[in-house]
Amino acid sequence: MLTTVAAGRVYDYSYCIGMYSQDGRGFWAPQDFVLGPNGRIYVLSRGVEQLGQRITKINLDHEFQGQFGSVGEGDGQMVWPRSIDLDRTGRVFVSDEYLNRVTIYSEEGSYRYHWGRSGSEDGQLNGPSGIAFDSQGTVWVVDSLNHRVQSFNQIGEFQSKFGKRGDGDGDLEMPWGICIDRQDNIYVADWGNNRVQKFAPTGELLVKFQGSGAGVGSLKGPSGVAVDSDGDVYVTDWGNHRVQIYAADGQYITALVGDAQEPSPWAQTYIDANPDIIKARRRTDLEPEWRFRRPVAVNVDADDRIIVLESYHHRLQIYNKLKDYEEPSINL
Amino acid sequence: MPHQEDIRLMAHLMRRAGFGDTREELEERVSKGYEAVVEELLHPERQPAIDDELLYRFFPGYEGAGALPINQANWVFRMVNTKRPLEEKMALFWHQLFATSNSKVDNPLELTRQIAIFREYGLGTYRDLLVEVAKSPAMIFWLDNQGNRDGAINENWGRELLELFSLGVGNYSEDDIREAARAFTGWTIAPKIPRNPYGRFHWLFDYKPEDHDHREKTFLGYTGNFNGEDIVDIIADQPATARFLARHLYAFFVADEPHVASWNVTPPVDPEAIDLLADAYHESRGDIRSILRVLFNSEFFKNARFARVKSPAELIVGTVRMAGNYKGFKPGFNNLALECGWQGQGLLNPPSVEGWHTGSEWIDPGVLMRRVNFAARIFGDVSLPGVQAIVKRVLVNVHVHGDSSPQAIVEACLDAMGPLEVNSATHSELIAHAEKCGDLAWSTPEEFRATMRNVTRILTLIAASREYQFA
Repeated sequence: MLTTVAAGRVYDYSYCIGMYSQDGRGFWAPQDFVLGPNGRIYVLSRGVEQLGQRITKINLDHEFQGQFGSVGEGDGQMVWPRSIDLDRTGRVFVSDEYLNRVTIYSEEGSYRYHWGRSGSEDGQLNGPSGIAFDSQGTVWVVDSLNHRVQSFNQIGEFQSKFGKRGDGDGDLEMPWGICIDRQDNIYVADWGNNRVQKFAPTGELLVKFQGSGAGVGSLKGPSGVAVDSDGDVYVTDWGNHRVQIYAADGQYITALVGDAQEPSPWAQTYIDANPDIIKARRRTDLEPEWRFRRPVAVNVDADDRIIVLESYHHRLQIYNKLKDYEEPSINL
Repeated sequence: MPHQEDIRLMAHLMRRAGFGDTREELEERVSKGYEAVVEELLHPERQPAIDDELLYRFFPGYEGAGALPINQANWVFRMVNTKRPLEEKMALFWHQLFATSNSKVDNPLELTRQIAIFREYGLGTYRDLLVEVAKSPAMIFWLDNQGNRDGAINENWGRELLELFSLGVGNYSEDDIREAARAFTGWTIAPKIPRNPYGRFHWLFDYKPEDHDHREKTFLGYTGNFNGEDIVDIIADQPATARFLARHLYAFFVADEPHVASWNVTPPVDPEAIDLLADAYHESRGDIRSILRVLFNSEFFKNARFARVKSPAELIVGTVRMAGNYKGFKPGFNNLALECGWQGQGLLNPPSVEGWHTGSEWIDPGVLMRRVNFAARIFGDVSLPGVQAIVKRVLVNVHVHGDSSPQAIVEACLDAMGPLEVNSATHSELIAHAEKCGDLAWSTPEEFRATMRNVTRILTLIAASREYQFA
């Protein structure tokens, strides 16, 4: 369905951006993205082994604006980049699960500095994955293999932590993605426990979004989370290849499964250049291509557009949350 | 304290049915008893599988990867980190027997999926495995069965099914090949989503009845309106199939044999063993698990220590498993995969449908240098956890026995690295080197560092020995 109507909400598929590319225009096993000023999007590619790690600068009009970062352990380099966010001045913060550090770049991608030390003591990191800023400029880091969330100031000084390993309320098991809403509440994709938990900035558990498995409303290895202006919560249900949508109180609303029936302009250019590919595409069922495969991160922009990043298909799919939708006549 | 002979036998079993174990792992297995360990190996489902969700969380680029080295790395990760060693070893065995190569298929993702078939069906019946392999899109493409249609027979799959996958040369006629091929008409690949711009998509098996030859066929003396599965049923019941598979299992798990291409003129190294395994095939109706149970518990297996040259994958995976430097999730498995290729065993890319030439043919002067350098470099790196464990074991052994003579040090090193059994010439060379190192001492940090260096030098020499090349 290109348009999904459920519980008074309407989600209308719009278009997609991106394609597979080891370098340059395109992404490779992307893990996260962040919406910047002036319509810019930074997409973080994980690549594989010693290839493809980078941050690609694009905008919603498919414009490729360059890339920065490379593989390695030196300054400004990455091995297992996982998450990206911007501070209030537009600087780019990137977590690296292997190097146990957060690297800071300028808005255009010049290396500034990095911080982070390996370990399990306060302020130390083991597999830092999701990162997000709150309204005060504090950066929250999902310290995944320490099964907790820690907060730091922008130069990496430890401030606070919450969470411990387990499956009880408020516990975490290899948490992954994170987002922070306008009230500075913290949503953590509790990957190993197949749920998302919403915490107050103090670490107090507020709401759980859960249900293990592949059933309606359930999650399997959630990876990312976002909140729109109405308080609806979007979870990339990574293991089930869908995006689950919940109301603010945790009530399940509906799911998106991917609708990119039209290739992105970049992808279309690739297809158009090869007549054999055009022919092959005309004689097969393309549905596996347009459905989500490993949706890994989600963001909502100021216009309540829901933007979903797929790791396996190396692209973004964009949905509009319609405010003025009218049910069509049933007598069509 | 386990008996040394029990340790040696267990080490032998684990080199063959797996990729080798550390000395500590061997002692734990010995405490369970040999036959119990054989049963444990034969039932991999009782051990946890590699968690794909976890694997692809850390290595998202592995999933659906289009590049050969990444698919090779995916497999090497599993070989190194599996808790089901025989399952991976069987995958390697079937990959050698049903050799399917990326050189033609040009879709490493599908080859990875074929390896998954070997994991799933590799210890079941040969009949079921043959059917799954026949439906494998990689195999269909490799042997051109997508072009095998009623009225336009392509015999490639039918020929190799009989020659290299079941009966062996001399046990069928050209007519049988043609009739088998007719039975597999219409077994093809569904129209594919082409690679890129969104990565690779799985190929899917498709049976097209409109392309199948529905007329009567006569195959190996049987007549009927056969489809592919009927042909496999007939093949699986043939004595020649039992002997063919028995010889393959013997060559892979017991002792080096000449290459399969010469089997019709070269008798088996141990005909009685082949008879026993072929009988086990018949008794179990082709159940691979049952045949392997007989094999691993046989005297000919137990007596065949160091009778096989390690394949590159066995050498590389066994070395890093012992050294502990690739345990869990970390970058660099592609380097191990590439090393397999540089040593002559490019996984997912065998040289032909006949597979690799094994045994002494793994070795030539250039490759031998690579093999020696690879293992020696790793065992010379005292920062690696497995090497540290070996050194510690050596020092404890020397300390407990109060004997730090060169002979005692060499024996302790050989024991901790295997136990390895070396010939007298190798032994003498190791002793001569140990004598140059002098006594081991660890009273001061300087002495301890020097001792670590000296022990790792002996480990390096052992890794460079002729004996380390054998399983």
